Amino acid sequence: MKHTATTRFGLAALQIVLALFVLLPFFWMISVSLKPATEPFAIPARLWPTAPTLENYVTAFRPEFRTYFMNSIIVSGASVAITVTLALLAAYSFSRGKLIALTVLMGAVVIAQMFPHSAIIIPIYKMMRLADLLNTYTSLIIAYVSVTLPVAIWMLRGFLIKLPVSLEEAASIDGAGPVRVFWDIVVPLARPGVIATAVYVLIVTWQEFLFALSFTSTKEMRTLPVGLNDFIGQYGIRYGELMASSVMVSVPVIAIFFFLQRYLVAGLTAGAVKG
Amino acid sequence: MTHKDRWLLWLFLAPTLLLIAVFLYYPMIGTVFESFRDTSFINPTPRFVGFEIYEKILASRDFHEILRNSIIWTLGVVILQNLLGFAAAVLLNQGLPMQGVLRAVVLMPFILPGVVTAILWRFMYDPQLGLINSLMMRFGFFEDGAAWLASSSTAMAAVIFVAIWKGFPFSMLIYLAALQNVDQSQVEAATLDGAGPVRRLFDVTIPAIKDVILVNIVLTLILTFNYFDIVWVLTRGGPQNATHIFPTKIFETGFGQFRFGEAATYGVFSIIVLAIFVALYVIVQKSASNRRPVA
Repeated sequence: MKHTATTRFGLAALQIVLALFVLLPFFWMISVSLKPATEPFAIPARLWPTAPTLENYVTAFRPEFRTYFMNSIIVSGASVAITVTLALLAAYSFSRGKLIALTVLMGAVVIAQMFPHSAIIIPIYKMMRLADLLNTYTSLIIAYVSVTLPVAIWMLRGFLIKLPVSLEEAASIDGAGPVRVFWDIVVPLARPGVIATAVYVLIVTWQEFLFALSFTSTKEMRTLPVGLNDFIGQYGIRYGELMASSVMVSVPVIAIFFFLQRYLVAGLTAGAVKG
Repeated sequence: MTHKDRWLLWLFLAPTLLLIAVFLYYPMIGTVFESFRDTSFINPTPRFVGFEIYEKILASRDFHEILRNSIIWTLGVVILQNLLGFAAAVLLNQGLPMQGVLRAVVLMPFILPGVVTAILWRFMYDPQLGLINSLMMRFGFFEDGAAWLASSSTAMAAVIFVAIWKGFPFSMLIYLAALQNVDQSQVEAATLDGAGPVRRLFDVTIPAIKDVILVNIVLTLILTFNYFDIVWVLTRGGPQNATHIFPTKIFETGFGQFRFGEAATYGVFSIIVLAIFVALYVIVQKSASNRRPVA
């Protein structure tokens, strides 16, 4: 599109406003995390500390925080692996099978993704209590896999539909059994879709709060979001540490996102735009 | 897949269908059953009470406040987030030099974990130490800090603002993808006919992506209505119910007070209200597009 010089200037100004709106809170978070605990909060606040230091990070990386981090890695890691595996198998069936029953079931999957978590959490909590699974990784992983499966299936199905079936047919004619066709042809081709789905599930489970808050009761089992929320009460006024912890919680997902952005963007938009 | 391979298809589906049935569909029905039974922390054995809890909740002031808050919250976030998301998408689709970097940067709030977002903004809103009041004082808007989250007249607007900050990048992402799929020859034809940028936007672009707009609004409607983390961490539903919406009320009743029956009943009400929301929107959208045929 061609623009006149004045329009270009106006649009560039709007871009700066947009960037400021998005980035100012991030800048503030980092600035405060680098402020030495000894430097008093100036009123009105200073935008950048006079003597930036990493001491808040060192203090914030206390043993509890490391436990929360480990728990988050275990719960999110397991959820990503299980959800993506199950979703790929299911999406393959949904994209290749031609039965009416499958269309109906796919509809049921799409509807299930709209169920409000706060409305279904009490029966799930009771089931977990009955199975003696409260305050375990297992309860969180089961909940996370179940709630992320519908969107994961929907994303992967959108991806698999676009793959040419001819390759699978050719392999089949060459004598490959259905399991080999899936493993040798479909799985390698589905890689971009798998990456997109994995990133999506990671982003969702890394920040999941409601289930983690309701199902865990001891410090040993808390995940990062719940642990951070606990910090507010304990270290309410020590914003420097709170912001340093926040940065450490966010960096892993933001880094992975920037690394694998194009996969995620393609995966998320494919369904909504083409569907 | 040939006819005799059907066993594999069902084998692949089995674990997923089992999980979705047991952990999504069963709880959905379970919530309804739960709502007919009264339990409390002191009296943990469930007792069948029929619609007693429904009557109690409908008669309570809490319910009306939460219903009103949920409507304001949902409409506020959905409308503003979609407007801002759409505007940002149009802006970042003009072929300006920085657009590639900006498209990635703008997505950052969407990736930032909800609890982190809430803690960060609690701090931004802090009456004395927060950036917002500091900037306002520096530019001479007022002397003393306003307590954005602690005053019931501003709390809801403050929470809505945070939700939009975190949510608009997602809307932008979808709109951007849709804008890139708009047939450019139609836009050029309209330009040759003398249509300015605003007319092109309303007469060509928006009609071309109206399905995406529908999907996007329904999606954000559902996500917003069910929001929990940001609201809970920012205000715990306060001050005095000013920001209590269905999910926060359900959590507080269920896991704060262990009144599962009452929490489940709020859950049922929330599903009904959400269903009405979505249905109303789809009806309005349908009748609007029937009235104004796309040229």
